[in-house]
Amino acid sequence: MQSKETSTPQIKRSKLPKQIRQGFGIIVLLLILWRLYLVFGVEQEYTVDIWARLLISGLVIGGVYSLIAIGYTLVYGILRMINFAHGEVMMVGTFAGYLVLEATKSITVPTPDNTLLSFSNAYPIISVILAFAIGMLIAATTGYFLEKIAYRPLRKAPRLIPLISAIGASIFLQNFAQLLFSPQTRDYVNPDIISRGAGWTMMINDSQVILPYTGVLTFVLSILLMIGLYTMIKKTKLGKAMRSVAMDKQTAALMGIDVNVIISRTFIISGALAGAAGVMWGLHNGLVYYFVGFLPGIKAFTAAVMGGIGNIPGAMLGGMLLGLMESLGPTALGISYQLKDVISFVILIVILIFRPNGILGEALSEEKV
Amino acid sequence: MNRQEFQKFSQHGLVFAIIMIFLVLIDFQTMFATVISKILGTNVLRGGLPEVQFMVIFLVLYSLWMGWFIARKEENKSRRIIMTLVASLSAGVVVGLFGLILNSLIQSGTDVRRYLAALSPESMKLFLLNLEGLGPLALLGVFTVSGLLGSVLSIILQSPSVSKWPKTIKTGISSTWQKITGSLPPFIRKNAKFLAYLVLGIVIIVLPTRWGSYNNFVTGLVGLYIILGIGLNIIVGLSGQLVLGFAAFFAMGAYSMAILNAPLPHGLMWGFWPALLVGVLMAVVAAILLGLPMMRLRGDYLAIVTLGFGEIIRILLKSDLLSNFSGGPRGIQDIKGPTIFGFPFNNDVQFTYLIIAGVILSIFVYKRLENSRTGRAWLAIKEDAIAARATGINVQRNKLLALCIGAAFAGLAGAFFAARNQFTGPNDHTLMVSINILSIVIVGGMNSIPGIILGAFTLKGLPEILREMENYRLLVFGGLLVFMMIARPDGLWPAKRPQLEKKIKPDTRDGDSPGKGDKNE
Amino acid sequence: MNEIAIKVDQVSKIFGGLTAVNQVNLEIPQKTIYSIIGPNGAGKTTLFNCISGFYVPEKGKILYFGQEIQGLSTDLIASVGISRTYQNIRLFSNLTALENIMIGLHPKFRSNWVDAIVHSPRYLREDKETKQEAIRLLNFVGLAGYGDYLAFNLPYGVQRRLEIGRALANQPRILLLDEPTAGMNMQETQSTTEFIKKLRDDLGITIILIEHDMQVVMGISDRISVLDYGTKIAEGNAAEVQSNPKVIEAYLGPGGAALAEKFQKQRRSNVKSH
Repeated sequence: MQSKETSTPQIKRSKLPKQIRQGFGIIVLLLILWRLYLVFGVEQEYTVDIWARLLISGLVIGGVYSLIAIGYTLVYGILRMINFAHGEVMMVGTFAGYLVLEATKSITVPTPDNTLLSFSNAYPIISVILAFAIGMLIAATTGYFLEKIAYRPLRKAPRLIPLISAIGASIFLQNFAQLLFSPQTRDYVNPDIISRGAGWTMMINDSQVILPYTGVLTFVLSILLMIGLYTMIKKTKLGKAMRSVAMDKQTAALMGIDVNVIISRTFIISGALAGAAGVMWGLHNGLVYYFVGFLPGIKAFTAAVMGGIGNIPGAMLGGMLLGLMESLGPTALGISYQLKDVISFVILIVILIFRPNGILGEALSEEKV
Repeated sequence: MNRQEFQKFSQHGLVFAIIMIFLVLIDFQTMFATVISKILGTNVLRGGLPEVQFMVIFLVLYSLWMGWFIARKEENKSRRIIMTLVASLSAGVVVGLFGLILNSLIQSGTDVRRYLAALSPESMKLFLLNLEGLGPLALLGVFTVSGLLGSVLSIILQSPSVSKWPKTIKTGISSTWQKITGSLPPFIRKNAKFLAYLVLGIVIIVLPTRWGSYNNFVTGLVGLYIILGIGLNIIVGLSGQLVLGFAAFFAMGAYSMAILNAPLPHGLMWGFWPALLVGVLMAVVAAILLGLPMMRLRGDYLAIVTLGFGEIIRILLKSDLLSNFSGGPRGIQDIKGPTIFGFPFNNDVQFTYLIIAGVILSIFVYKRLENSRTGRAWLAIKEDAIAARATGINVQRNKLLALCIGAAFAGLAGAFFAARNQFTGPNDHTLMVSINILSIVIVGGMNSIPGIILGAFTLKGLPEILREMENYRLLVFGGLLVFMMIARPDGLWPAKRPQLEKKIKPDTRDGDSPGKGDKNE
Repeated sequence: MNEIAIKVDQVSKIFGGLTAVNQVNLEIPQKTIYSIIGPNGAGKTTLFNCISGFYVPEKGKILYFGQEIQGLSTDLIASVGISRTYQNIRLFSNLTALENIMIGLHPKFRSNWVDAIVHSPRYLREDKETKQEAIRLLNFVGLAGYGDYLAFNLPYGVQRRLEIGRALANQPRILLLDEPTAGMNMQETQSTTEFIKKLRDDLGITIILIEHDMQVVMGISDRISVLDYGTKIAEGNAAEVQSNPKVIEAYLGPGGAALAEKFQKQRRSNVKSH
C-alpha cells in the first residue's frame, strides 16, 4: 500500500449551492418588492384607517406571540431542545381562564340597588385578575409536570428522542383537552366592560377605528410581563442561575447550583408566560378549543428563531415583528387573508436559510466544529 | 416506619388516585370496562354501558397494578405490605372523596357536561358502582384491598420460584423449537429459507382473494405505511436528518396522480403508470427544492422547517388560490385506477397485490442501499457529519440524495393511495400523517425492517380492530410516544446489527489481537 | 531537498477579539515528521483546523504542493490527500471498527446508489475490494480481529489506532495527527511512535504532529515548530528547540529560562560528582 506518487490533482471548487441560494433569495426579494409596489404604488386601495386597524391587531397578536416565544427561547437556551408541547401549555392556560370566567359569570351577587349581577360584571377587575392568575398557575403547573414526566428522563438522550417525546406530549395534551372539554369551540365571555370589540374610538381618515380594550390590555400586560421577566433574568439570583445553567450545565452544577431545580423553574416561568398569553388570546380573540395552541405555538417558535434562539430580547422583538408581519403582510402583498399562516412559515424558512442567527442572536442552528 | 416514608408512600398513592381522577374526567374507565366485558364475552350495545361487574374488574385491576408498582422496589417484605397499605389507603381516600363529589353532583341533578363533556350522569353512576351513596365507600374499599393485594402480588412475582418462570418458558419454547426443526427431514432444513419464502409467496397470492375486501383494505393501508416508513427511515434512520413534513412528499405523489388521472379539474387522463412516474418525480423535485437550502441546518431546526414546509403545502392545496389547479378544500375525485395492458387492475385484490409488490420493492431497495458505499456514507453522516466530511464524504450531496430517495418512496405511496381511494384532498396530508409515519419508524424500530412492519401494523392495523378505543386512540398514541422514548427508545423491534456487538474486557492490552490470525477473512 | 508539502504562509485566524493564530509561517517538507508544539491554547489545533479546512483563515495562504487550499471544504481537502486525526477521537462510535475503515475508503471508490441498487459489476467489484482493503488496513495498524467490535466498545489505545487507520485509508500524502499519544502509557506510546516512523519511512507520508509528550517529539521529529499565543516563536531540530530560551519561557513562564539553566547546571554538577 503505497502513498500516491502521482501529481496532485487539480482542485476544483464548487460554488453551486451558494449561487443557488443567492439566486433564490434574489428572486424572492424581487417578488416581494413587486407585490409591494403593486399594492402601494398602483392599486392604492387601502386607506390609512385600514392600515391603522391592521397595525393595532398586529401589535396585539405580537404581544401574545412574544410571551410564548420567550417560553421557547428559555427552554431552548437551557436544554437545547424545542419544547414542542409549549403551544399546548398556552392552550391549558386559555382553558383555565375560560373556566374561571365561566365560574365568575355564574355566581351572582346582589348590588346596592337590589339587582343581581354576575360576579364577573360586579367585580370585573378582580375577575380578570383571577382569570390571569389561575390561568398562569395552571399553565405553570402543566409546564412543570411536562418537564418532569416527559423530558427529564431523557436529558442525556440524543436529540431526536426528546423531540419525539415532546411531540407525543403535545398530542397527548391536545387530545386530553379534546376528550375533557369536547371538540366544540367555546366562546370566552368577557366581563361586560371589556367585552370584545368595545374600545376607544378614534377617527382616522373619516373612518371609525376602534382601539379595543382587550387589545390594549393584552399589549400593556405583555410589555409589563416582558419587562418583569427581563429584570428577573438580569437582576435576580434565579435569573443568574438560569443564565449560567444555559451556558454550561456542568460548571453551574460544580458551582453549587441545583440544575434540576433551575430547569424546573425555567419550565414553570415559561409556562406561566404562556398561560398569560393564553388568557389574553381568549379575552381578545374569544375562542378556546383543544387545538388553539398549535398555530400560535409554531408561530411563536418562528418568532423566537427570528429574534435569535436563546436570546430573550430577541424573542420579544421577534414576537412583535411576526405579529406585525402577519397582520400587515397579506394586505401589503395583496394576497388572500387565508394565506396569513403561510407567511409565518415562509418567514421561518427564509430566516433559517439566510440568517439562522436570527436578528439579534447567535448561530445555534448550524453545525459546530 | 417514620414520617418521611409515610409521606412518600402516601404521595405515591396520591399520584395514582389523581391519574384515576383524570381518567374518569375523560370517561376512560367506561371504555376500558367495555373492552373487558367484550373480552369476557358480554357484548355491550352501542352507546350503552357495560355492567357493573366489569367496572369492578377494571378498578380491581387498576389497584392491583398500583399496589404492585408501588411495592415492587421495596426490599423488606413486611414493610412492603405496610407501605402499600398506606399508599392504597391514601389513594382510596382521595378517590372516595372524588366519588362523594360525583355523587353529590348526581343527586343535585347538575349536568356538568357543559364543561366536562365526558361526564354523563350514567357513567358517573357506573363509576360509583351503581351504589349511589355507598359508592365512595366501595371505591375506598376496592382501592385499599386491591392495592394491598397488589403488593402481595409483587411479592409472589419476585419470589425465587416465580421469577424464574420467564426464563424457563423461554428455554422451553426454544427447546421445543429445536426438537421440531431437528425432526424435519434434511431436505427441508437445507432449503429452509427458500421454502419459507415460497410459503410466504403462496400466502401473499392466495390470501387477498379469500379474506374479504375489508382485510384487503387494511392490508393495503398497512402496506402503504410500510413503504412510507422505509422511505422515512432512509432519511431519518440512515442519514440522520429529522424530517417532520414527510407528508408533503406523499402529497406530491397523491396529487400528481389525482391531477393527471381524473376528469376534473383538468380533464387529463394520462393513465395510472405515467401519473405514478410523474408523482415520484414531483416528490423528488420537492425534495430537492426543500433540501438544497436546508442542508446546513441542525437537527431540530431541520425538523421544524420541514414541518413548516409540509404545512405550507397543505395550506396551499386547501386554499382558494390554487383551487383551480388542485381542487381546493374538496380535493379531487374520480381518480382512475391502474390498468395492465389495457385491462383494469383496480379491484381491491389487485390493488393489494400492487401494494405488496411496492413493499417488496421498497424492502429490496432499502437493503441494497443499506449495505452499500452510499449507505455507509449515510451512517457516517448520521454519526458525525463533520468527521464524515473530513474523511472525504460530500455530506451535502449525500444528505440530499437520502432526502430524494426517501421522498421518491413517499411519492410512490402517495400515487397508490390516491388511485386506490379514488380521491384525495388536503385532509389526507396533514401534520398528523407525518407524525404517524415518524412514529412507525421510531416506535417500531429505526433501521429495522421488521420493526417498521410491526410499527405499521400496530399503528394502522390495530385501531381498526380495537374500535372501542377510537376516541382515545390519539390520546394513547401520544402517551405511547412519550412512554416508548423513556422505556424503549430503540423501538419495539430494534435493528439487529449485521455484525456482532461484542464487548471487550477492559484489561485487554492495546495492540494485542483478541485472537491469533486474521479472523476477518 | 524535498519538495515542500505544506506551506503555511502568513496565516492568521481571528475569532472576534481573539487572534488564535497570528501570522504563522511554516514550510513542511515532504516525507518528514514535523511537530508543532507549544503550551495549551497556543493555537496548534486551530492551525490544524485551518489546514484541514474546518476554519478559513482570515489572512494568509495555505499551499499544498504549491496549490492554494485555504478555504476549501474539508471533503475536498480530504480527497486530494490530506487526512487527520483528532484530539478527542472522532470515530463513528456506533459502527464497527471495520466499517469505520470502510468509510475512510469512501473517496477511493466510485459506485453510487444506482450501482448499489442494481448490484452492477462496478458495485460488486468495489464492494469486494473495499472489504479486502479494509481488512488489510486493519491488520496494518495492528488491529486484526477487532473488526467486528463497535467503535465505542474498543479500548482507548485501540480507538486511537483505529482513527489512524481510517485516516490512512485514503492513501493520504499528508497525515495530521493531533496528540496521538494522549492518555497512553509508556508501552503504547512507544509502539505508536514506532508506527508513526514506519508511516514516514515505508509509505512516504508527510506527518504533521501536535504533541505534548516531549520524548516523542524530540525522539522522532525531523523538524519542530513552537507556537505560543498563536505566534511561532521558534523552529528547528530537537536540539535547537530544546535549548531555545524563548521556548523554555513559553512553557515555564517568565524567568523560566534562567530557572532551566540553574537546573541544568545542578544536574551537570550532580552527574560530575558521581
